[in-house]
Amino acid sequence: MTKPPAARGAATLLAALLAAATLTSCSGGSADPDESGEAGVSQYTGWTYTDDAGVTVDLDQRPTRIAAFTDYAIGLFSYGIEPVAIFGREDVATDRRLKDYDLSDVAIVGNNYGEIDLEALAAAQPDLIVTGIYPTDRDGTLSLEDPYYALADKEQQEQLAKIAPIVVIKVGGAGIDVIESLNALAVSLGASADAINQAKAAYDAAAAELTEAAAQSDLELTMIYGGADGIYLVKPMDEPTTELYTSLGVKFTDLAPDGDYYWDIYSWENAAQTMTGDVLLVFTEGYQEADLLAQPTFASHPALAAGQVYTWADAAFDYDSQAAQFEYLTTILRDSEKVA
Amino acid sequence: MTVPRLGLPARPDRAARAPSRDWPLQRRRLVFAGGALLALAGALTASLMLGSNLISPLAVITRLADPAADVDAVVWGSRVPRTVLGLMVGFALGAAGAVMQGQTRNPLADPGIFGVSAGASLAVVLGVRLLGATSMLATLWCALVGAVVATVVVFLVAALGRGLSSPVPLAIAGTAVSTLFAAVTSFLVLTDQATLAAYRIWVVGSLSGRTLNGFGLAAACAVLGLVFAAANARSLNSLALGADMARGLGENLIGSRVIGLAAITLMTAGAVAVAGPIGFVGLTAPHLARVGVGSDHRWLIPMAGLAGAFVLLACDVIGRLLGGNGEVPVGVVLSVVGGVAFVLVVRRVRMAAL
Repeated sequence: MTKPPAARGAATLLAALLAAATLTSCSGGSADPDESGEAGVSQYTGWTYTDDAGVTVDLDQRPTRIAAFTDYAIGLFSYGIEPVAIFGREDVATDRRLKDYDLSDVAIVGNNYGEIDLEALAAAQPDLIVTGIYPTDRDGTLSLEDPYYALADKEQQEQLAKIAPIVVIKVGGAGIDVIESLNALAVSLGASADAINQAKAAYDAAAAELTEAAAQSDLELTMIYGGADGIYLVKPMDEPTTELYTSLGVKFTDLAPDGDYYWDIYSWENAAQTMTGDVLLVFTEGYQEADLLAQPTFASHPALAAGQVYTWADAAFDYDSQAAQFEYLTTILRDSEKVA
Repeated sequence: MTVPRLGLPARPDRAARAPSRDWPLQRRRLVFAGGALLALAGALTASLMLGSNLISPLAVITRLADPAADVDAVVWGSRVPRTVLGLMVGFALGAAGAVMQGQTRNPLADPGIFGVSAGASLAVVLGVRLLGATSMLATLWCALVGAVVATVVVFLVAALGRGLSSPVPLAIAGTAVSTLFAAVTSFLVLTDQATLAAYRIWVVGSLSGRTLNGFGLAAACAVLGLVFAAANARSLNSLALGADMARGLGENLIGSRVIGLAAITLMTAGAVAVAGPIGFVGLTAPHLARVGVGSDHRWLIPMAGLAGAFVLLACDVIGRLLGGNGEVPVGVVLSVVGGVAFVLVVRRVRMAAL
């Protein structure tokens, strides 16, 4: 990664010459801000990026071989950056969110949370590893003593860092901030402004549709994870995606905005009385509709009785993925009725 | 009342079998049995009356008397099933633990050691993966069959050596087979999302969120196991003297091992099938019972069952009251409360000789 000073000097000289050449070639054409941006980057010899955890990574050149956790890999893919390695918390090869992307040249180095095949990862020779970090509270506190998201422990994180520097996306606070953080990383890794602008256009259109659907409806959506202990209710302002949908006017069940961070649990004895929504959004990993119907205390819930139950899987934080979620929510809002 | 004889020099080992010489053992047993029944009745009542949804005791009684009044199904849909399950599962696990510790002469043995839990888990996963069996009843059958098959495999592996006289080969075979089954289970679970989802729901040992579907079958299984356990009690008393001594006393070792294994498997399988794997009861209950009634298995097995039912129900009720709108899972309460109780038992009464 680090070159001897002489080589670095040569690289600087070369870069300066190239920059001069670029500027010259540009001078006659239109002064496109993106092109001058390109020139600015190539004038600069190395690649510097400060991630959401405040860690600055300095490399001699822009990393081209990226290893990423599935969610961020999807985001990079959508902007035209193909990762060389992916690790996921579920089977990467069958992850439906990746179905539009060609994985034939991608090394799958982990299919379960915290399980990363270090040898396979090293063999993929990444220049940079991308994963996430979740705040530990509502104020957005980041605990750097804890391992990053998707990593088993600090020791594994250190081993990963020996293979390539790690940068993280902060998944907390406002949803749009998370999207913009991912966009900034993608741009820094060479994503074209065109790709991002194109995705943004589709995103804005979908957002407008959702905003309109939400304005016309007074439905309350309840986002839950069901398990043997009871129902976990997501706190909509603590989860960036629901924060984003709320900002577009979608109403979510929010029983206790304060108190514990991220979600509260309601026992089966209490679930039916407390879940006030007209539509249940059920996380794919927990109890499904049939399991909910098998709970005597919950079976007669109005939304369940009306069949207004939809599965929910968290999507990645890129324009494409979120636009698809907007469309899904729009359909749900248009197809459902007030029952509670 | 006897004064606890703390600080006295340790008694010789044989004396430790009878917990206290100051009190006639028979009377002590009767008092303990009466106390255990009373405590269990208290836990049962509490389990019906108390929960995370605060209904007044009077309302609970009204709803119990008239199921139609129980509109939100909190009493008949939640408290009754989990109380019935708690009684059955706790009793079965406690009694199975007593037979287990007697068979292996290992005070830390728990019914999982013969591969029962691992076998049940594997079978549940195979059922989902190969047959698409996700219904409660199908899961239950899978768990039962898996538990029995696992025990038979463990028994055969131990018997292939010349290992049935000593408990050690059985325990080693059990550990080996458990590990193998657990590995296959993880493989199956990790390579298929649908299997993982179904398995995750089952694998959480809990009385909450369960229903009484298939309870009859599981209970029948456990009762049959209890019959085997009763038949095994005398042999366990002989085995406590060591395999050679037991053989000298005319004990048929193979026969008593088979009966003991059948008892453990059927009781554990019945429990695991309806409530998922629940730890700590099978380990703790026999020790609590031993403090009261000593090591005679004719007393120990039923008392361990009562103790198991009490411990499980009591911990479940505590968990319901701790979580506010939610509940603390019984497994968590069991490890905390059970762990502390266990330490006290070990500290007060030296680990009873087996």
